[in-house]
Amino acid sequence: MVFIAILIGCIIGAFLGMNAPVIPYSLSGYLAISIIAALDSVFGGIASVVKGDFDLKIFVSGFFGNAILSILLTYLGERLNVDIYLAAIVVFVGRMFINLAIVRRYYLDKWTNRIKTAVMEEKAEEDKKS
Amino acid sequence: MKKGKGIMTATIGLICFVLSYVMFMQFKTVEETNITQIENMREKELSEKLANWKEKFEETDLKLQQTNEKLQEYKQKRESNQEASELLNAELIQAQAIAGLTDVKGDGIIITYTEDENSELGKIEDRHLIELVNELRLAGAEAISINDQRITNMSDIINVMIDGKEFILVNRKRMTSPYIIKAIGDQKYLESALTTKTIGFATRYPNAIVEKKNNIIINKYNGSIKIKYAKDVVKEEK
Repeated sequence: MVFIAILIGCIIGAFLGMNAPVIPYSLSGYLAISIIAALDSVFGGIASVVKGDFDLKIFVSGFFGNAILSILLTYLGERLNVDIYLAAIVVFVGRMFINLAIVRRYYLDKWTNRIKTAVMEEKAEEDKKS
Repeated sequence: MKKGKGIMTATIGLICFVLSYVMFMQFKTVEETNITQIENMREKELSEKLANWKEKFEETDLKLQQTNEKLQEYKQKRESNQEASELLNAELIQAQAIAGLTDVKGDGIIITYTEDENSELGKIEDRHLIELVNELRLAGAEAISINDQRITNMSDIINVMIDGKEFILVNRKRMTSPYIIKAIGDQKYLESALTTKTIGFATRYPNAIVEKKNNIIINKYNGSIKIKYAKDVVKEEK
């Protein structure tokens, strides 16, 4: 059910996004940083699902809050002539890697566990037969 | 629980929608921007720039107008200056001609006045020359010279005794017979004035031979004229 929703959302979004008007170039930097923030939130959400402590409120507020905050910080950085968006990218991308690592370990564990149990069950059946 | 799950699904779907929408928008923007960067600049920026340029243009235009006006003014001034200087030049030429500071050329008469020591009538003194010059002036002579000494309004004609001999000085230069007097003016008037019956100079003094001639050249006065005491009244008052 959730996977269907994700799939439909992604397809519709991609379709509409391809037909969307081109945004001004000077604004595309802000959009890019907000995309990174949103991606970070999504990976964080996936990781929390894996860990089992997923909270929709935290996820939604993180998704939009991080995006908006990153835009504001980038704007502030531009005003101050400091590339704050670099720090945002470092943080978000770093977190993305950490979350991906969590997901990867989880599925790796799951997979190895399944193989282990399968092997043990086979052994048990063989034992029963004999 | 089921209701909560439905909301969660919808929310996640929505978020996925937003994310992919924004991402594809950004992809498109980046792709298009690489081709034509200027076209995608914010309209506001462009309009600001346009406004700036317009302002600059207006400023420059105003300056141009002002400069053009000034140029026109200067041109007019220059033209009027030119006119004035032309007028002044003409006046100067005339004044110089009157003062005898330039060589002049024109039709007139030449009088050859030869001294005859033997007859009383043939003797030539300063007064004869003065009389002759006076008559020529009366007849409208514009330029007169005696033996190439230009008669100006500062000229003098006097008799002097040098070593017991009498000489005539014109412009303080010694003259000897024959005296050739050139005069430019109306030939008819000049000639008739000199040859009038009984009172004409040439009639009274037969030694003076009057002769009409065209294109007479009368040299300028080659001394220097210094005016030291006579001051311009208008200038003084100012």
